Amino acid sequence: MNYMPGTASLIQDIDKKHLVLLRDGRTLIGYLRSIDQFANLVLHQTVERIHVGKKYGDIPRGIFVVRGENVVLLGEIDLEKESDTPLQQVSIEEILEEQRVEQQAKQESEKLKVQALKERGLCVPRADTLDEY
Amino acid sequence: MAEEDEELDLYNEMTFGIEQDCTEEDTSKPPMPPEMSPELAKAVAEETEAGEDLGPEAAEELEEPQEEGAMEMEQLGSELEEELGTEDQEEDQEPCEEPNDLGDPAVMRAVQSKPTLESQDSAVLDSRIGACWADFGKEDVDKAIVQVLERPPPSTSVALDFLGSPVQRGYRGSPRLKRPDIRLVPPKSFPQRFLRQQSPLVPRSPCSPRPFAPPRRPPLLFTSNQTTGYASPTRFQPMPPNISRPPRPLAMHFGPMSPSLDPALFFSPSASGQLNLSVPSHLTQLHPQHQRILTQRQQQSISSKKLWSPKVDPYAGLMTSKEKDWVIKVEMIQLQSENTDDDYYYQTYYHRLEHKQAEEELLGGRNKQEPPKLVTPFIQKVETYNSVVRIAGSLGQVAVSTCYSPRRAIDAVHHALVEEATGSHRLRALHKIEKLFLQLLEVEEMQRKMSLAAEEQEQKSQDAERIYQALKIRACSSEEEAEDEFLQLLCVQKGKKLTARLLPHLSPEQAEKILLTITHHLPFLMKKDVLDESLPLLYSPLNKVVGRMTFSKLIEVLQEMSRPLPESPELPVTMALKNQFGISLLYSLLSHGERLLSSDMPLEPRSGDFEMWTDTVFLVARELSQVPKASLVEPLFLPSNLLSLFCRYLDKQTVVHLEAKMECSPLPSEAAMLC
Repeated sequence: MNYMPGTASLIQDIDKKHLVLLRDGRTLIGYLRSIDQFANLVLHQTVERIHVGKKYGDIPRGIFVVRGENVVLLGEIDLEKESDTPLQQVSIEEILEEQRVEQQAKQESEKLKVQALKERGLCVPRADTLDEY
Repeated sequence: MAEEDEELDLYNEMTFGIEQDCTEEDTSKPPMPPEMSPELAKAVAEETEAGEDLGPEAAEELEEPQEEGAMEMEQLGSELEEELGTEDQEEDQEPCEEPNDLGDPAVMRAVQSKPTLESQDSAVLDSRIGACWADFGKEDVDKAIVQVLERPPPSTSVALDFLGSPVQRGYRGSPRLKRPDIRLVPPKSFPQRFLRQQSPLVPRSPCSPRPFAPPRRPPLLFTSNQTTGYASPTRFQPMPPNISRPPRPLAMHFGPMSPSLDPALFFSPSASGQLNLSVPSHLTQLHPQHQRILTQRQQQSISSKKLWSPKVDPYAGLMTSKEKDWVIKVEMIQLQSENTDDDYYYQTYYHRLEHKQAEEELLGGRNKQEPPKLVTPFIQKVETYNSVVRIAGSLGQVAVSTCYSPRRAIDAVHHALVEEATGSHRLRALHKIEKLFLQLLEVEEMQRKMSLAAEEQEQKSQDAERIYQALKIRACSSEEEAEDEFLQLLCVQKGKKLTARLLPHLSPEQAEKILLTITHHLPFLMKKDVLDESLPLLYSPLNKVVGRMTFSKLIEVLQEMSRPLPESPELPVTMALKNQFGISLLYSLLSHGERLLSSDMPLEPRSGDFEMWTDTVFLVARELSQVPKASLVEPLFLPSNLLSLFCRYLDKQTVVHLEAKMECSPLPSEAAMLC
C-alpha cells in the first residue's frame, strides 16, 4: 500500500495469521504464506472453524491452497485479541454434532415452508436449480 | 550462599553416602549382574521399536561381559541411570534387590531404562522427543537431561502449534482427542515444541528448522560409531553412517535456514516451560549449580516467550522477496492504463485523499501536501501477437506456438456478415444496438477529453454523424412500424439508452428529427414500453431538444400528437395522458410554447401556426378534463407555466377544474386575475 498508493495488495499480509471466508461458507484460519496475481492463497497450519451459535470447533487441516475466485473475504487476525472472544470453543465431535442438529432443524423448517406454500398453490424453485451465488 | 552450600552438602551426602553401601555389597554380589542382565535385556528389548530380534541378541550380548566383572555392569547401570518416567520403570525395578546400587559411588540411584540419546551421542543435548505429554501426568520431571521415550504418545504431532489449540494435538484424527491427558501443553511454549522436533536433528545438523510434515517419533538414532563402552550398538537399530538421510517418517529439509531463526535456541535445554523444578524426582538429580543455570535459562525463556513467537517463525519467508517482487510487478502491469478516468476506485481514492488533505491544510495550516500519485513503472505490455501468421507466398497458415498460446488452432477469420445471416429482426436489432453503443462510447470518450482541438471536434461530430446515419431514421414514415429499424431499436431498453446518450452529440436538426419520429410513433412506442417502462430515459434529453426548438417546429411536433390514428378512436394526446413519458413530453412541449409566446422574442411563425397552437391547447384541455383522474398519470416534471397557458385561452371554471386535475400549485394572484 505504501509503494502503491490507492491500491490494495496482499503482499503485506504474508506470514500473518488470517481468517478466510470461502464461497462455500467455510471459514479457514491459517498463516498466509504465499499469493499470486489471482489472489490464490497458500495457507499454512490451517484450521477449519465451524461456528454454531455461540460455540465453535476447530478442525486442523494442514496446508491449503485456495483458488482466488473462491474467496469471499479475508482479514488479518490480531494474535493478541484472538482469544478475546465471547465464543466458546468445543471439541470437534461436539461442534459437528451441533452442526448436524442445526442443519436438520433447518431442513425441517424448510420442508414445512415448502409444504405450506404448496398447499397455497405457490411453488418455490429448489435451491439447487438456482444459481447459488 | 548458605543455601547453596546446603544443597551441595546434601548432594554430596547422597552421592557419597550411598558409596558406603555400594562398596560393601559389591564384593558380595557378583551374581547380581547375571541376574540383572536378563532383566535389563528385557527392559532394553521392550524399549526398542523393533525389539523382537534384539531381545535374544541383547541377552546374549549382556552375558558376555559378565566374566569381566561388575565394572561393566556398573557402567551399564550408569548409562542407564537416566530417568524414564514411564510405565516400564515399575517392571524394571522389581527384580532388583538393590535398585539403587550399582556399585558406583558416583551413582546416586540407578534406574533401569534404555539408553538415552544423550548417552550415546555427546552431541545431543536434548533429545526430548515429545516428552512433554508424559510430563503432565507425572510430577517428576527432569530439567535438562532428557528422556527418550520408548513409545511416543499417539498424539505426536510436533507441528508447530502457533494456533495454540489443544485440539490440534489431535492432528492425526479424532481418536487422539479422547485422551485429554495427553494433550499438550502450555499453549505458547514454543521453544519446547520446537526442540521436540529438533532433537532428531541435533546430531545431524544444528540448522534444520523445517520439518514440514508432522513427524511421528523417529526411531532411535544411533550411528554405528557411537561407542559407549557398551558392547553393542547393534542391538539397537543402527542408522547407517550416512547422516544426511532423514528418518523415515520425518520429512526433513536441510535447506537454507530461515534467517529469522536463532541457532542458539536449538540448544537450549530449557525445553519445557512447565517443568516443576522443586520436586525432587526419583530420576537423576542434577547438581544444584547445573539446576540453577537451567532455572535461569528457563525463566528467561518464559519471560521472553511473548516476544519470541512473533520473531521466530520458522516457516516465514516461504515466499521469497523475488517472488513478492514478481507479484508486485504483475499487479503493476494490471494497474497500468492510459486512461485513469475510467477507474472508479482510483478516482474515488484520490478525491477523498485530496479532500482530507485540504481539510488538514485548513485546520493545521500546514503546507500543501501533494498526494502521492500512483506511479506505475513503464512496463512494456506484451505485444499482441498475430495469431495468424501468413508467410508471403505460402499456402495456408503457419501454426505458431508461443508460451501464450501453446497450441493454437487455425484462426477462423470472422467476417462481418453474421448479422444478415440471423433471420430474426429482434436479433438484428440487438446486434445493431451493441455495435452502435460501442461507437457511442467512443464519441463520449472524445467528448470527455475536455480540451478538444479543432480536428478532434470534427472527428467527434463525424463519428456521431456516422452513428446517426446508421440509425436510419425515417421520420414520419407511414411504413409498417415493424419494418422501421430505428423504431425496433427503440423498443429495446438499451436502444433507448443509446438514443438518449446520443442526442446531446447530434446537431439540432438531427435531434429534432429524432423527436419528430418519436412523437409520430408515440402510441406504438408507448405500447411497446409497457413492460420495460424505460421511455422516461428519453425524457431528459428530449426535453432539452424541445427547449431549443423554434415555434414552427414545435407546432409540427404537436401536430403529430393531435393527428388521429387509423386503428384507434383515441388521439395520441389522450393516450399520452395515460403514460408517464407521454404526459411529460406533452407538458414539456406546451410549456415551451407558452414560454415562447410569453417571451418577447420574434417567433417567425408560419401561417396557420397560431391556429394550430390554439387548437392544440383547446384539445389538450378538453382531453385533460375528460380523462378520469384515476387514469391520469403523474408526469416526470410538471412545468409551472401550464396554468398560465390555460388561463390565456380558457375560462376560469375550466382552469380551476384543470388545476385540480393536474394537481398544480395554485396560480399566483396576478395570473388568476387574468383568467
